[in-house]
Amino acid sequence: MSNDIKTQVVILGAGPGGYSAAFRAADLGLDVVLVESRKTLGGVCLNVGCIPSKALLHVAKVIDDAAAMASHGVTFGKPEIDLDKIRSWKDSVTAQLTGGLSGMAKSRKVTTVYGYGKFTSDKTIVVEGNDGETTTISFDNAIIAAGSSVVNLPFIPTDDPRVIDSTGALELKDVPAEMLVLGGGIIGLEMGTVYKALGSNVSVVEFADQLVPAADKDIVRIYTNYNKKKFNIMLSTKVVAVEAKDDGLYVTFEGKKAPSDPVRYDKILVAVGRKPNGHLVAADKAGVNVDERGFINVSKELRTNVPHIFAIGDVVGQPMLAHKAVHEAHVAAEVISGKKHTFEPRCIPSIAYTDPEMAWVGVTEAEAKEQGLNIEVANFPWAASGRAIASARTEGKTKMIFEKETGRVLGGAIVGINAGELLGEICLAVEMGADAEDLALTIHAHPTLNESIGLAAEIFEGSITDLPNAKAAKKKK
Amino acid sequence: MSIEKILVPDVGGDEVEIIEICVAVGDSLEADEGIITVETDKASMDIPAPFAGELLSLSVSVGDKIKEGDLIAEMKSASAATPAEEAPAAPVVATPAAAPAPVVDAAPIAATPAPSTVEIIDIAVPDIGEDGTVEVIDVLVSVGDVIEEEDGLITLETDKATMDVPSTHAGTVKEVFISNGDKVKQGSLVIKLETAGSEAAAIVAPAVAAAPAPAVAVAAPTVTPTTAPKAAPVPHHPQLGTVNKGSIYTSPSIRRLAREFGVDLTLVKGTGRKNRILKDDVQSYVKYELSRPKANAGSSVAAGEGGLQVVSARAIDFSKFGDIETKPLSRIQKISGPFLHRNWVTIPHVTQFDEADITNVEAFRKEQNVLCEKQKLGFKITPLVFVLKAAANALRAFPTFNSSLSEDGESLILKKYIHIGIAVDTPNGLVVPVVRDVDQKGIHQLSRELLEISMKARDGKLKATDMQGGCFTISSLGGIGGTAFTPIVNAPEVAILGVSKSEMKPKWNGKEFEPKLMLPLSMSYDHRVIDGALAARFTVHLAGVMSDIRKLIL
Repeated sequence: MSNDIKTQVVILGAGPGGYSAAFRAADLGLDVVLVESRKTLGGVCLNVGCIPSKALLHVAKVIDDAAAMASHGVTFGKPEIDLDKIRSWKDSVTAQLTGGLSGMAKSRKVTTVYGYGKFTSDKTIVVEGNDGETTTISFDNAIIAAGSSVVNLPFIPTDDPRVIDSTGALELKDVPAEMLVLGGGIIGLEMGTVYKALGSNVSVVEFADQLVPAADKDIVRIYTNYNKKKFNIMLSTKVVAVEAKDDGLYVTFEGKKAPSDPVRYDKILVAVGRKPNGHLVAADKAGVNVDERGFINVSKELRTNVPHIFAIGDVVGQPMLAHKAVHEAHVAAEVISGKKHTFEPRCIPSIAYTDPEMAWVGVTEAEAKEQGLNIEVANFPWAASGRAIASARTEGKTKMIFEKETGRVLGGAIVGINAGELLGEICLAVEMGADAEDLALTIHAHPTLNESIGLAAEIFEGSITDLPNAKAAKKKK
Repeated sequence: MSIEKILVPDVGGDEVEIIEICVAVGDSLEADEGIITVETDKASMDIPAPFAGELLSLSVSVGDKIKEGDLIAEMKSASAATPAEEAPAAPVVATPAAAPAPVVDAAPIAATPAPSTVEIIDIAVPDIGEDGTVEVIDVLVSVGDVIEEEDGLITLETDKATMDVPSTHAGTVKEVFISNGDKVKQGSLVIKLETAGSEAAAIVAPAVAAAPAPAVAVAAPTVTPTTAPKAAPVPHHPQLGTVNKGSIYTSPSIRRLAREFGVDLTLVKGTGRKNRILKDDVQSYVKYELSRPKANAGSSVAAGEGGLQVVSARAIDFSKFGDIETKPLSRIQKISGPFLHRNWVTIPHVTQFDEADITNVEAFRKEQNVLCEKQKLGFKITPLVFVLKAAANALRAFPTFNSSLSEDGESLILKKYIHIGIAVDTPNGLVVPVVRDVDQKGIHQLSRELLEISMKARDGKLKATDMQGGCFTISSLGGIGGTAFTPIVNAPEVAILGVSKSEMKPKWNGKEFEPKLMLPLSMSYDHRVIDGALAARFTVHLAGVMSDIRKLIL
């Protein structure tokens, strides 16, 4: 059986970008069809990404916090882990959110077609339904929101159940005794944190000379120092071979921290990155150009080379982040509805929900140097924060990057507990073109971790009183 | 219950004028509620009710001059407990908000001068650089607002720009006299402001209060209560060129707004802190740009400094001077008006005058018309046809005249065809149908076509295509009269030929005066494209062809 649908807008993929585009377009009065290959809406983010990982990180945090209380006079018993229960709780979290989405799709009269959609021309998409049914959708405009998938490495067996990717890690089948995380990026470290809390010995191998290479060194160093007992971290090291044996996976390393002999692991988590799904939607049939890596090049209006076909999210480029996709989605839907909008953010925040968290936005210090910007950095160490001391987490710091002459906020980074939640103020400051003075004059509540942003600005301004004031001392001389 | 007389307290001057009655007989007043407002030479102030109660009678009216001890009103106190003895003298000069209270319980001597740190002033519209009234598009304050010096009170919109009228003092707004849409001019009252006194006055006050002599109630105010205007507020966006050289301070929503309107934010002057661009700045920039006269394509005006700022004509009530009638412009007038205006304003016009000797061509024409009639051709050859033909010849000889400026003003587009427009007067207005390929047509055919198009024009049956594609225009007033005129170039053409009434004139042939029929020619041209010498050569050539039409076949 086959169906024919005609619509003003069709959207390929119902991840954060896809559903946001669909809902925005529907709210702007357009006819919308949303095509999704999974059985639920929400894409990787809701189903096998951001959200379920946060549920598990919450578990990990409570375990770690409880253990940490022993030195402050409260001792809990050894936690009893019921994997099935944790898993079903995690699943209920995603179910609640994906269910909410399909409800919102219905109330907005967005037609949802479940199945794998591919272009057959620049005016039609055919969806092979999960139930064998074929749907042909003729459209005026299309938005490709096909997302990305996990990168696999050629020398690593993919058919071995002991080799998992982030999706496999979230399935939480067991807690391996020895686990290797391949790739010291955000995803690897987040999942490593979870498995470590649940009881695994976790090793992390990273080819670069620091974890999370996108963030500034000083930020990551704080993280690495805090975790050097927790993880066996091997930097500047790579995996060259994996041999699957009955008793485990034997991994051969090469590089600075490489053990001389192959090391046995019960599980390997491959978290070396994600690749765009541009080649998976038969974009060529519509005449849409896809580069060799799978990215689709778009204009500021999110148009591909075919003007009535748009693309958003992971498939159009880095950073592959849900919040970037959502904003692109809004712009694409608004452009289709005739608005003169463009996607030109000043900054896109990044957060590693590790322990401690690392969060950064705008230019990093390394980028500023590379771009030759005249900057001044102000660091507020959390050792001077009452709230951090009271929480027994003084390892953190708040780092602000200002334009030297004007004091304008160009970026900032925070490492420490709740860093991700603190970042929003810096994002707003960058977008608003705020100056250090603006932040310094904004009264931040005390005692909070958040006030560290205002205090960092006071360091730049030379008005800080919570720390020795270097600038004031200099003036006196 | 008791009935009390309310007398004027010490007001710090001999006589003061009542400028406002704040209450009406029968009103229930709160203690300290203003009964009347008086104006001294320094400030205006309220005289408040000394206690709560009902107003029984008022003995004064606006404009009265009163002095200390005069009867203002009679009040019935609300409670028997009111200190009746004290009442008559109690009214405190200052308005309630400012007076640090210990004053009232002083004996019934003259009111103390403590509250002298406060005064009420009027703020009026300063010199705004406009002679007439301007419209208020926004009122930025309301009663009770606490404002700073220089805070905007109202926004005015003139033909050129919008501007805020700033407060001359800091203080609390007591009364607002203006609402949206009002027309104001210099001197119009905007608000009454209760100023916060200067520090000096505040410091002095307690000392004076300590000696409650018959002190002057309104101590010499250090803040002069004049409405003397500051420098006229500057319209927001008269400047052109890049305003923001470095980074632009603004927010994402403003950037989106700018994008939607196609506004280049580097050209917008920000009025926020550190020149931050606010939403109002973008809006006023857009308003300014829209109200600015736009240059036509290819005009040097486009890139010039500031465009053309024309003083708008003032509305005049002509009926004051006698009977009038209002008649709407015709459709054609309405359509052509803006184009004529644009051409007049944006093209640098020069008009070259000349005369053509048409003695021979007229004799020839008359002979031919006799033949035409004999042959029943159905048309007459008019003098205009020969002008048309001669113009075509001149255009061929001087290709610059058969051109248009390119849109960017960088080059000249030369036309290889010769289509000439003829301005035709119709009952509905002026139209310019175009005769095509004039150079390739004979006198008879042109005569026939001219007859046709002028009939069509008068019947209003010309199609848009009939009026397009002209290279040059001829406007003939020869049938009516006149000796010369200055026609307006019909852009994108670069020249237009005006023809006036021919006249027999004595012409010196070297030995004697000969009577010659002379046709006056007035040719206006775009001086950006054609220079004066070339224009003179063109008319000389044209006149030469007219004087001897055998030249047409050369």
